[in-house]
Amino acid sequence: MRLHPAWVDLALVLAVLAGAGLLFVGASTLPPPRFEPMGSAALPRILGGLLVFFALIIAIKAIWQLRGRTDSNVVSDETDDTTSRPSAANSALESDTEESALTGQLRGICVFTCLILYIVALDILQWSFIPVTAAFVTIVGTALSPQRLQALWKFALFGLVLAAGLYLVMTRFLYVDLG
Amino acid sequence: MLDAFITLFQIDNLLFLFLGTALGIVVGAIPGLTASMLIALTLPLTFHMDSVNAITLLIGQYVGGISGGLITAILLRMPGTPASIVTTFDGYPMAQNGQPERALALGIMASVVGGIISWLFLAGMSPTLAKFALQFGPWEYFALVMMALVMLASLTQGSLVKGLMAAALGMAFALPGIDNSIGRARLTFDMDALLSGFGLLPVLIGAFAISQILRESAAPIKASTPINLPKKKLPVQFKDLKTFGPNMLRSSVIGTWIGLLPGIGANIAALVSYTTTRQLSRSPEKFGTGHEPGVVAGETANNASIGGALIPLITMGIPGSVTEAILIGALTIHSLQPGPLLFQNAPEVAYGIIAAYLVANIIMLFLMWNAVRYIAAISQVPRAWLLSTILVFCVVGSYAVNNNFTDVWVMIAFGVIGLGLELARVPLGPFVIGFVLSPIAEEQLRGSLMMSDGNVAEILARPYAMSFLFVALLTLLWPLIMGQVARRRHHTRQEPNS
Repeated sequence: MRLHPAWVDLALVLAVLAGAGLLFVGASTLPPPRFEPMGSAALPRILGGLLVFFALIIAIKAIWQLRGRTDSNVVSDETDDTTSRPSAANSALESDTEESALTGQLRGICVFTCLILYIVALDILQWSFIPVTAAFVTIVGTALSPQRLQALWKFALFGLVLAAGLYLVMTRFLYVDLG
Repeated sequence: MLDAFITLFQIDNLLFLFLGTALGIVVGAIPGLTASMLIALTLPLTFHMDSVNAITLLIGQYVGGISGGLITAILLRMPGTPASIVTTFDGYPMAQNGQPERALALGIMASVVGGIISWLFLAGMSPTLAKFALQFGPWEYFALVMMALVMLASLTQGSLVKGLMAAALGMAFALPGIDNSIGRARLTFDMDALLSGFGLLPVLIGAFAISQILRESAAPIKASTPINLPKKKLPVQFKDLKTFGPNMLRSSVIGTWIGLLPGIGANIAALVSYTTTRQLSRSPEKFGTGHEPGVVAGETANNASIGGALIPLITMGIPGSVTEAILIGALTIHSLQPGPLLFQNAPEVAYGIIAAYLVANIIMLFLMWNAVRYIAAISQVPRAWLLSTILVFCVVGSYAVNNNFTDVWVMIAFGVIGLGLELARVPLGPFVIGFVLSPIAEEQLRGSLMMSDGNVAEILARPYAMSFLFVALLTLLWPLIMGQVARRRHHTRQEPNS
């Protein structure tokens, strides 16, 4: 099932209002201007106000769209019940599309999780750059590849070469300590 | 200018320009990867370079990135960059009709001519405009920044309110850190990591590269489409220059002027030029079926828009698009302040940008003419290899900024924010440019108010500042005015019928 864009807009509005709230709270802790007319808190307050204003416009539009959608659903349900019902073939097609979209989303989440774990391994666990990077490239590359098992060793080899090459360039030539 | 060309022809500068253009063409030819992503990822590597070397590398990537898109647009109907969407209209049918070499040859020729004509504008206008901009005070700069932001937010495709909100959000994210005016932490919420604010590079890499990779990862895995590589020599003759001369001149002017305006970009320049050429044509019905002037119009305009976009960047320090915002970041990293003083403080860089733009176009011609087959083959590299490699580069690039992982976490956070904004159809361009321009806008406004003892009405006595604000207001109200005009026309048409 696809989420109606108006719901996405309402989620955006909530996030923006929370952000605007943070701006107001942060601005309230700042001292009043002493040597200049504007002061440090003015811009956060102005931007907070603007964000609330834009968020309200988007919220009103989204609620309007959702109300319109509910009304039209009621009307279409009352007038024609048979045409709105999906055929068996359509629903099968829909479930296929949903399945592939879901697989894609899961793959995206998997890549994101791998990225977080990669940074945790380098930053918090302080593991060595070359093996961690090689493992990361192997996992992400295999997850994104259509021929999973055949690609595994290719990505492992590529990851090792890439990690070793990057390590060499960054530490020897650009003086960046990769750990 | 002559000195700039002499400096540019030193072996190291030429090598970086060549490397940048080649990389740009390859990345531009790969659908899904863009010049802005490449430049953002290369930026950390330029820290240790000389400023002219760094700028030549990045300008080469910019020119190559826009030009390379035509290869896959013609051969696969998959534009490598959004700027080449229009090229698919006639380029792909030409390739299907057995003329891929001709379509590529015309596209390359048009790109180079567009680049050279817009270089003439860039070289001719920039020093004069920079001298003119020296008259600007803080009020003018503040009004100019506001105009750029409003135009960018309004002219970006999609909702106007969301565009403006994106700009305000971007500005808000630039606020945390030490406020230099009072030397006190602002919006850091007692977090030491926020004292230096969010770095430009992690923000750019996160918002553009990470969010795009996450989106690409979630897209269905497809086997790559087989490509018909050109077999013959690229057929173009001197008489083609004569035949398409008026078209190329017109498209270059359109491209350059659209490039000058913030937020519109190369894709719109190509579309406007294509539509104009079709409207002026004696055989408009042929457009879209593999008509040569269609390829020429789009490719000339998209390349010409780069020269146009570089004009406000080097003369006033105002970025017209995300790529220019990254270039501003590059100049700042090398302790250079883009704007009119760049011509006085670092003329080798200001004129170096202008010279590099011309030479990059010539290198692009050489590379594309001789290696188009190989570039087309590289564009077939499977997504899994590209995305996994780019992710590693994103992490290493963000880390290399300050040798610490805080920037890497900032990059991840902005990747998630960028993805969220795109899901909610909020444009990322105004967000990033708001982030870049926020410190300038605040500094100039505070400076103006200090000079005028807090009297805001002082701006009324500033004709340039008022003109900029008027243009900003007009841009905001334009959709409403046009809507009203359309409604009136609709009413007057209906009245005689009733």
